[in-house]
Amino acid sequence: MIAIEDLSVNFGSTEAVRHVSLELRDGEILGVVGESGSGKSVTALTLMGLAAEEATVTSGRILYDDVVLQEAGKPRDKALYRKYQGEWMSMVFQEPMTSLNPTQRVGRQVEEMLRLHGLPLEAAGDGELQRESDTVREVSHTGQSGESADTGRAGKIRQPRKQEKRQRMKQLVLETFASVGLREPERVYQCYPHQLSGGMRQRVMIAMAVILHPRLIVADEPTTALDVTVQSQIMDLLREINEKQHNAMLFITHDLNLARRICHRIAVMKDGRVVESGTPEEIFEHPREAYTRNLIEAVPSRMKRRAAGRSIGREPVVTVRDLSVYYREGNNSLFSRGRKKPAVQDADFTIRWGEILGLVGESGCGKTSLSKAILGMNKEITGEIQHFSSRPQMIFQDPYSSLNPAKTVGWLLEEPLRARGKLDPQQAMTAADIRTAAMDMLEKVGLTEDYFDRRPSQLSGGQRQRISIGQALITRPGLIVADEPVSALDVTIQAQIMELMRRLQEEMQLSYLFISHDIHVIYQMSDRIMVMKDGRIIEIGDTEEVFAHPREEYTRQLLRES
Amino acid sequence: MKYLGKKIITLIMTLFVVSAAAFIAFQIIPGDVVTSILGTEATPEREAQLREELGLNDPPAVRYFRWIGGVLQGDLGVSYRYAKNMNEMMPVAELIGDKLPVTLSLAAISLVLIIVVAIPLGVLWARSRNKVLDAALGVITQVSMAIPSFFLGILVTYLFGMVLKCFAPGNYVSYEKDPGGFLFYLLFPALAIAIPKIAMTARFLRNSMLTELKADYVRTARSKGCSERRVMYGHVLRNAMMPVITFLGMIIAEIVAGSIVVEQVFSLPGIGRLLISSISTRDLPVVEILILYITFVVIFVYFLVDILYRVVDPRISSK
Repeated sequence: MIAIEDLSVNFGSTEAVRHVSLELRDGEILGVVGESGSGKSVTALTLMGLAAEEATVTSGRILYDDVVLQEAGKPRDKALYRKYQGEWMSMVFQEPMTSLNPTQRVGRQVEEMLRLHGLPLEAAGDGELQRESDTVREVSHTGQSGESADTGRAGKIRQPRKQEKRQRMKQLVLETFASVGLREPERVYQCYPHQLSGGMRQRVMIAMAVILHPRLIVADEPTTALDVTVQSQIMDLLREINEKQHNAMLFITHDLNLARRICHRIAVMKDGRVVESGTPEEIFEHPREAYTRNLIEAVPSRMKRRAAGRSIGREPVVTVRDLSVYYREGNNSLFSRGRKKPAVQDADFTIRWGEILGLVGESGCGKTSLSKAILGMNKEITGEIQHFSSRPQMIFQDPYSSLNPAKTVGWLLEEPLRARGKLDPQQAMTAADIRTAAMDMLEKVGLTEDYFDRRPSQLSGGQRQRISIGQALITRPGLIVADEPVSALDVTIQAQIMELMRRLQEEMQLSYLFISHDIHVIYQMSDRIMVMKDGRIIEIGDTEEVFAHPREEYTRQLLRES
Repeated sequence: MKYLGKKIITLIMTLFVVSAAAFIAFQIIPGDVVTSILGTEATPEREAQLREELGLNDPPAVRYFRWIGGVLQGDLGVSYRYAKNMNEMMPVAELIGDKLPVTLSLAAISLVLIIVVAIPLGVLWARSRNKVLDAALGVITQVSMAIPSFFLGILVTYLFGMVLKCFAPGNYVSYEKDPGGFLFYLLFPALAIAIPKIAMTARFLRNSMLTELKADYVRTARSKGCSERRVMYGHVLRNAMMPVITFLGMIIAEIVAGSIVVEQVFSLPGIGRLLISSISTRDLPVVEILILYITFVVIFVYFLVDILYRVVDPRISSK
C-alpha cells in the first residue's frame, strides 16, 4: 500500500535520510526504531508531506497505492497532499500539549477533520460506524489518481442541512471520543487542551487521527511524553484501533521494547539509513547489527544492577521530618494571595552519606515540589529539613534549556564557585584557581579541555548533561538532587550518563536523591527507593526488597506497566 | 467578577496617586499663575485680590482636597485662561468636552484603519514565500515607520489636499455643523496617524506569526489537510495576536491621549492641542484634569487589553 523507495532527504548539505526503502501493507504495524538524529522522524514527516520547507528529496519516491506522492527533483505537490492528509493518512505526534492548538476547544479541533473532508457516509446515516461502508470508500479510492480520489470523496458525502450536519458532526466526534476511552465526551468536547491531562490530550489526538478511518496512521513517539501507566494504556489503544479499523500504522519510537509490543515488523535506523529490519522476534533474538544489539542492551531493564554491598555511611546527609510542601493556586496580588494547596504531605525520610535514594512517581505526584523544598527553593513548608552537608546542588532534566546558551562551558562551570565566593568571602577563590577547578571538572565528567570555550549549542545532549553535572558537583556538595537527569536523553547516552553519575558518586562520596518516572532507571541506580503518589510517600525500602515484595498496589502497578 | 472589582480598585488608587503627584509637581515648578494671568496689568493689589479669588492662599493640602473633592463631584474647576464671555469663567469640563469628540473620533478612525489594514498585511507578509514581496514589504514598512509624523501629515495634506483635492487642508469642519464632513475631514489626519502604526503592527504580527508557525500545532493542522489560508487564519492568527494585542493597546492609549503633532498640522481642535496650549499658558486646572484623563485612558485601555487577553487565550484565566 505504501512504498518508500530509495528515499533520501537533505537539509541543505546535511543528509538526514539516506536511501531508505520501506513498505507498508494494509493493516500492518511497522515500527521504525532509532535514536535522535537517525532520520526516523524526517522519514515519517516526508511521507506525510509535512517536512520542513528546507528539506529536499534528493533521491527516490514515495508511493501511496500506485500514486506518486513525492519524487526526487520535483517540488512537493501540496494540493495533491491535501487530498490525502487527514482523510487517507493521519498523524499522531509526540507532544500532545503543543500539538493541539492552545486557543481552540478540542472538540472543535477534532471536528475540523469533518469540516475539511466531509462526514463519512455512515455517520451521515444513523451514526453507528461500520466497516462495510469503509470498503466502499476503499473501492472508490482504488481508481487511483488525484481526480478519482475526489470523486470518491464526493460519493461518500451527503449534504444534509447545515444544522443537521453540524449536529451529526458533533455526534460523531463524541462517539469517537468515547471509542478512544475518553470518559465524559461532552465535557472533553468543551475543554481547551490545557484543561486536560497528558494522557487525555493524546487520546484527543488519536481521536482526531482515527475519526475518518484513514488507511494509514503515522504515530511519531506517541507515548514518549507520557507517564508509564498512561503509556501502556495508549499502546493498548493503538493496538485496539489497528485491530478494529485495520489501518496500516507507521510507529516511530526510540524504544525497541515498545516497538516489540505492537509492531508486526521493525526497521532499525541509524544515521539516516535502515540498518536492519525484520519481525520483532528476528530483531530481538538474532540482531545482526552491533548497533541493534546496543539498542537492546542499553534499555535500562536489561542493564546490570550496580553491585550491592557498597559501604554506605551511617550518618545522615539530610533528614526530613513531617514535611509538607504547599503551593499557591491563583496569582499573588496586592489584594489576595492564592489559596494554599499541599503538593507534598507528611514526608518523613533520611538520606545517608554515600547513599542513592531513588524517588519514583508519575507527573504531578509531588516529586519536584519535594526536591525543591529540600534544596530550599520552596519556602512554603511545614515540618523540618535538616542538612548535614554544605549546600545541596541540583541536576536538571533538560540539558537543552537549563544551560544559558549565551555563555561558554567554562563560564558555566566557574559560575557556582564565583557565586559561592560572593556569598561567603571566606570561600572566595582567585580567578586562576576557579579556572583550574573548572578544567578539572571537565575532565571528571569525561570531556576534554578544548570544550572550555565552546557554547552549549555546539554540544550534544549527552555532553550538555555532563556540563550540567559538572556545574552541580564543582562546589563539592554532599547531596545532589537529580531531577529526571536522563529522561531527555537517548538510551545509549542515558546508559553513559548513569554510568558517569555512579562513578562520580563513588569517587566523591556523594549522596543522590535520584528522581525518575522510569522504574528501570531507578532500579539501576538506587540503594533504596521511595514511591510517591498524590503527594504522599506510600512506600520506602531497599530497592531489591521493594521490587521483590511491593507492599502497595500502586507500586505493583508501576512495576507491571513498565 | 472578583477580578473586575480588583481592577477597578487598582484604577481608582492609581488615579489618586497620579492626581496627587500632578498637584504636587505644579506646586514645585517655578512660575506664578497670577502674574501669568494678569500679564502687564499686574499690580500688587490686583494680584492679592486674584490670589484670594482663586483660593491660592490656603495651604496646599487644603487646596488639593478641595480640588479632588470637586473632581469627584463632577466639578472639574475653571480654566484660568479661557473665559466663556466677559463675566463668566470657562469650566474645564466644558472646555474638554468640546475637544474630546474630535480626538476620540480621530482615534477611532485611525484604529479602524490600523486593524483593517495591518492584520491582513501581516498575515500576507508572514505567508510570503516570494522573496521580492518579502523585501518590498520590509522596505515599505521600514520607510513608513521612519517618517516623522509631522512630515507624513504634510505629505498627506499635499497629496490628498493639493494634488488630488479630496479635502481642503486647514478648513476644519466642525462636527456640530456637518457630522459627515467632519468624519471625512478626519480621514486624512487619521491616515497620517495610521500609516506608521500600520507598518509597526504588520511587522509585529508578521514576526509573531513566523514564531507561531514553528509550533507543533501548525504541523498538526497541516497533517489534517488544512489549506495554507486555513492554517493562517484558523489556527495561527489567534495565537499570534497575543503580543500584537499588547502593542495595539499601547497605540490606542497613545492616540486617545491626543496626537499633538497631527492635530497641529491639520488644525484640529483636539485634546493634544489643548494640552500644549494649557501647559504653555500655565492653565493648571486644565493641565491637571488632562493628566488625569490621560492616566485614566492608559489604565483603562490596559484593562481592556487584559480582558481581551483572557478572551483570546483561555489558558490565562485558569492560571
